[in-house]
Amino acid sequence: MSKKLLLSILLIPFFTIGQNYYAYVASESEDTVSLIKFDGKEAVEAERIDVGFMFAEIEGPHGITVDPSGDFWYISLAHGNPFGTLVKYSTETNQAVARTTLGLFPASMEISNITGFLYCVNFNLHGSMKPSNVSVVDPETMTEITKITTGSMPHGSRLSPDGLFQYSVAMMSGELFEIDALDLKVSRVLNLEKKMMNDKKMDGKMMNHDNMKGKMMSNDKKENMMNTMDGMKHSMVKPTWVIPHPQENIAYVAGNGSDEVIEVNLDKWEVSDRFKTGKGPYNLEITPNGKLLIGTIKSEGKTAIWNLENKEELAIIKNTTSVSHGIAISSDSKYAFISVEGIGGEPGIVDVIDLDSYELVSSVKVGKQAGGIAFWKKEI
Amino acid sequence: MKKLILIIIAIFSLQLNHSQNLSIESNLDGLILNIGDTFQAESYISDLDGNKTTCERLIYYQKDGAFNVGAAIDPTGLFVASEPGIFEIVAVCVGMEGGKRLSQTFLVGVKFPKASSIDFNVNGELYVGNFAEVNSVAKYADGKEKSDLNFKYESSDPAIIKVDDLGNLKAIKKGSSVISASFDGQSVSKKINVFNNPVVSIDLSSDSKGVIKTGDVINLSAQLKDKKGNVLSGIEPKFSFSGVSTNKSTTASGLISEKGKFVADIAGEYVINASFGNTNSSIQVKAVDRDIQKEIVKLGLGEVFDRRTSDAWFFEGADGKDYGVSGTWGSDGTAYFWDVTDPTDIKKIDSIQVDARIVNDVKVSKDGKLCVISREASSKRKNGIILIDVTDPSNAEIISEYTTNLTGGVHNIFIYENHVYALNAFANPAKYYVINIEDPKNPKEVGFFEVDEPGSAIHDVWIEDGIAYSSNWKQGVYLVDVGNGIAGGSPSNPVEIGNYRYDSGGNHAAFPFKSKSTGKFYVIMGDEIFPEGVDGNTFNETAGYLHFIDFTDLKNPVEVARYEVPGHGSHNYWVEDDVLYIGMYTAGVRVVDISGELMGDLYKQGREIAKYGTGHPDGYVPNSTMLWGAQYYKGNIFYSDFYTGIGALKLLDKKKDNSNTNQFASDQTLKEALGAEDLLDFFQILASPPIE
Repeated sequence: MSKKLLLSILLIPFFTIGQNYYAYVASESEDTVSLIKFDGKEAVEAERIDVGFMFAEIEGPHGITVDPSGDFWYISLAHGNPFGTLVKYSTETNQAVARTTLGLFPASMEISNITGFLYCVNFNLHGSMKPSNVSVVDPETMTEITKITTGSMPHGSRLSPDGLFQYSVAMMSGELFEIDALDLKVSRVLNLEKKMMNDKKMDGKMMNHDNMKGKMMSNDKKENMMNTMDGMKHSMVKPTWVIPHPQENIAYVAGNGSDEVIEVNLDKWEVSDRFKTGKGPYNLEITPNGKLLIGTIKSEGKTAIWNLENKEELAIIKNTTSVSHGIAISSDSKYAFISVEGIGGEPGIVDVIDLDSYELVSSVKVGKQAGGIAFWKKEI
Repeated sequence: MKKLILIIIAIFSLQLNHSQNLSIESNLDGLILNIGDTFQAESYISDLDGNKTTCERLIYYQKDGAFNVGAAIDPTGLFVASEPGIFEIVAVCVGMEGGKRLSQTFLVGVKFPKASSIDFNVNGELYVGNFAEVNSVAKYADGKEKSDLNFKYESSDPAIIKVDDLGNLKAIKKGSSVISASFDGQSVSKKINVFNNPVVSIDLSSDSKGVIKTGDVINLSAQLKDKKGNVLSGIEPKFSFSGVSTNKSTTASGLISEKGKFVADIAGEYVINASFGNTNSSIQVKAVDRDIQKEIVKLGLGEVFDRRTSDAWFFEGADGKDYGVSGTWGSDGTAYFWDVTDPTDIKKIDSIQVDARIVNDVKVSKDGKLCVISREASSKRKNGIILIDVTDPSNAEIISEYTTNLTGGVHNIFIYENHVYALNAFANPAKYYVINIEDPKNPKEVGFFEVDEPGSAIHDVWIEDGIAYSSNWKQGVYLVDVGNGIAGGSPSNPVEIGNYRYDSGGNHAAFPFKSKSTGKFYVIMGDEIFPEGVDGNTFNETAGYLHFIDFTDLKNPVEVARYEVPGHGSHNYWVEDDVLYIGMYTAGVRVVDISGELMGDLYKQGREIAKYGTGHPDGYVPNSTMLWGAQYYKGNIFYSDFYTGIGALKLLDKKKDNSNTNQFASDQTLKEALGAEDLLDFFQILASPPIE
C-alpha cells in the first residue's frame, strides 16, 4: 500500500463524518436570535434566544456578527428610547454579557481584525432623511467610541480583508463611504448614481446636501437617477449593501433601486462595472475563496450566484418564502445560509444553499422577519 | 534551510512571549490636569523587563463614550480638560502580531477649580427651640455654582446656636452667634439672631369629622398664639405624627406634609403633632379600614388564544350598537372587530389584515365611523397608519394608508376632532405628527410636536379638551395646546403649556382627569419597566407604577400620590367618575377608588376596590395574566389581555364575596365546624374510615 493511499484512507473520516456548520440569525419581528446547526444535510434550529429588554415593545434585532475569535456574537436592537442598542453575547452560553447604546436604528456591523473595533451603521429610517452615521464600538469595554457622519440611511457595514477600511452605502443619498478604520474618519465618498455625478471621485469630501435644496437634477426623467425633495437627495440606485472582495481591491454594491450589482475599483475609487440582477438585490457576500458572489434578490424572494471571474449568473434559486434578506457563507466556501423574512405572520426561514451544486439543500423555520445572519463556525 | 527555520521559530517564540507580557505605559498614568488644559498623550509598549517599544498605532478614547460632554480625548490622544472629574481613558494599540491588540485604561483627573467665593443662607428666622437648615453654595469664576460639597460649619457661641456637620442649626437660647461656613480656602460668616419663642400655645384642629378612613386626606389647622392669646402670623409650625396600628401584626404608617395635610395608610390610632420651638400641641385621629372592596365578575371573553393581543377600543357604532376593535402583537398584522352589545356574548364579527407584524394601537372616531390602526414591522418597512371605514363594523373596509414620515413604525395613535395624532416614536427628536383626516382617503399632515432636546423619546399621546398629553419616557409628560385655546394652539400649531418629569424616566402613558369630588386636575403618569428583561413565552416580571401629578396649576405641577402594586407593573388605564381602571400587566385588572384628595401610597391605603386575573388554560401562554389595558364603557369594564384577547367585567355594588377565599382556621372554627379540638385532631378525623 502506498503512503499516499494510506494517508487518504486515514483522512477520509475527517472529510465525511460529523461536519457541522453553525450560524446565528436574527428575527426582527420576534425579538429572537436563532442558532442554526447544519450537518451537511439538514439544518435545525439548535437554540432560540430571546433578545431585547422591553416585554411589550418589539426592539427589532437587525444586525448580527460574530467576532473573529468566535467567542462572542453581537446583535443590534434597532428600536430604543429612541436610540438602539448593541448587545454582546457569549457564544458559549448565548447569554448577554454587556450592552451599549448606539444611534437611531443600528443595523449591520462587522469587527475589524486589525483594530478589534466594531463598526455599526445607524440606518435611521425615521422621518425626513438626513445624514446618519456609523458607530464605532470597542467590544472589549462595550464603549461607543465615536460616531462618524456618513450619508442618509447607511447600511451594509463591511470591513476590508486587512481590516483597515470600513465600507457602507447610504441608501437614500446613493453613496459609497469608506472609513479609515484607524483614523476613524471618512476617507472617501463615491457617488453611485449612474449619470448625474458620473462616478466622480470626491476625495473625501462629504456631499453638501444644502447645495441641492429645491433643485431638480435632470431634464430627462428617465435618465434622472436621483432627485431632491426637501433638500435631500433621494437615490435611484438605493444601494443597500457593499462587500469588498477578500483578495482583490474590488467591492460590489447592491443597487436595490436600480436592480444591479455595481462593481467598484477601490484603487481607482470608481465604478468599474455594473451588471443587472433581478428585482431588488439587497445583501451581497463573497465566498472566502473569492470565487462566487452571492446576492439576495429581495423583491423576488430569490438568491443569485455569480461567478466573479466572468460575472456570469450561475444560478438563481427560489427561496422557501418571500423577502430574501441576509447571507452568511461557511468558512470553507461550501454553503450559503440565506435568511428569508416572510410576510406578516409567516415564520422567517433560513435556506441553506450548496455552493457546489447551486441547490437549496435544507430549510429551517425561525422567528418572524429573519434578517441579519452571521456564520459562526465549522466544527468537525 | 534548517537555520532559517530556527530563526523563524525563534522570532515567533519571541513575539509570542512578547505579546503575552506586554503592557501599555503612558504619560496619562496618574495625570492631573486643571480645567482648560490640553494634553497630548504619549504611550509606548513595555514588557516585563522594562524594555520599551513603540506601538505602530495607538487609538485613544474615553469610556464615557461618544456622548461624553466633559473632558474629551480624540483618537490621537489630544486631551482637552473641559470639565472636572475623574475620566477613564483607554489606550488601544492595534495591528500587533497575529491581529492581536493591547489596551489599557488610565485614570485622568481634572481638578475642580478653586471656588472664588462661597455663600449661605438660613431658612427663616430662628426662635428658641427651633431648628433651621443652612444652604451653602460655592461659586466659581466661570459662573457655575455647586452646593453638594463638604462645607465646614462653626458657631461662635454654641450656647446660643449649635451647628452640626450638615449645617443644621438649633437655637438654644436668645442671643446671637456668628455662623461660619468654609470650603476650599474660602469662608463666609454671618451673624444669626435667635429670638425668644413668641408662641406659648398652638390651637391644632383638623377638618375631619371624628373617625377617618385610610386614604382620606385631612387638612390640619394650627393657630400659633402668643401669651396674650393673639394669633401670630408669618411663622409656621412643623407637623409630625406617630401611630399604633389596630392590627398588632402590622405597623402604622401614613404621610404628613409641610402644609399640614395628613393621610393614614393603615387603620390605627394616630397622634398628630404641631410644634414651634418648644411649644407643642397634639390631636388624636382614629383611622379605620377604607373597606371598599366590591365583587367583580366576568361577563364575557372575546377569545384570541392563537396570538397576542395588543390595544383595544370600545365604542358605540353608527347603528347604536356597541363594538370593540383590538390589535394583535408579534403576529400577522390582523385587527379584530367585535360586537360587544351583549358583553356576556362577545362576538368576533370581522377582521382586517395589513402588512405588519404589530398592530399596536387601535382607535375609533367619536362618531363611530372611522377606525385608525397603527403598523409596525411591515415587510416593506413602510409602516404608518391605516384608515378603516367601520360604519358597519361587521364589514370593515380599508379606506387608505398614510406613511409619510411614519415609515419606521407607529407605536401609538389618537383621534381627536378630525385629526390623527400619530407617533414617530423612534426618531430623534421623537415626535408626533398631526394628520388631518377630514378626507380619510387623502390624509394630510398639518403639524407636529417634538421635544427638541438630544435623545428625546416618545411613547404615547392622548388628547382631551384640546390638550395633548404625550408620554416621553425620560422627558416625562408634555401638555400641548392643540385646540383648547389656552395658549392659542391648534392642530397645525401645537403650543407647549406644561411639562413634568420624574426620576425613573419610565413614563409610558398619561391620562388626565378632573376629580369630580375635589375639582382638582390631575395627570396620571404611568411607568413601563421590565426589571429582569424579557422572556417572550413565560412569566415576565413587570415593575413601575402610576404617578399622580396635581396639575391644577399648570405651571407648578406637584407629584402627590402613587398607586403601586408590589411586584407588578402598570400599563394602560382609564378614569371614570373618580374610579381608576388599570391594566396592570401581571396583576390583571385593578379598580381603584381615587375620590377625594389624593396623597401618598394609594395601594397601601386600601383604595383598591377590585381586581381580576385574566389567565385562561387555553391562552397564548396558559393561565397567565398580562393585562394590556382597561376601559370603562357603558357601566362595564372592558379590557384587552396579551394572552387571551378581550373581555368584559362587571363591578357589582356589593361587598366582595370572600366565602371561597382562604380563611385561616382557628381551633375554635375547627371545633365548631368539625368537632376537632385542634389541627392534629382534624387530620385524624379526616383519616378515619367512614362510618358504614
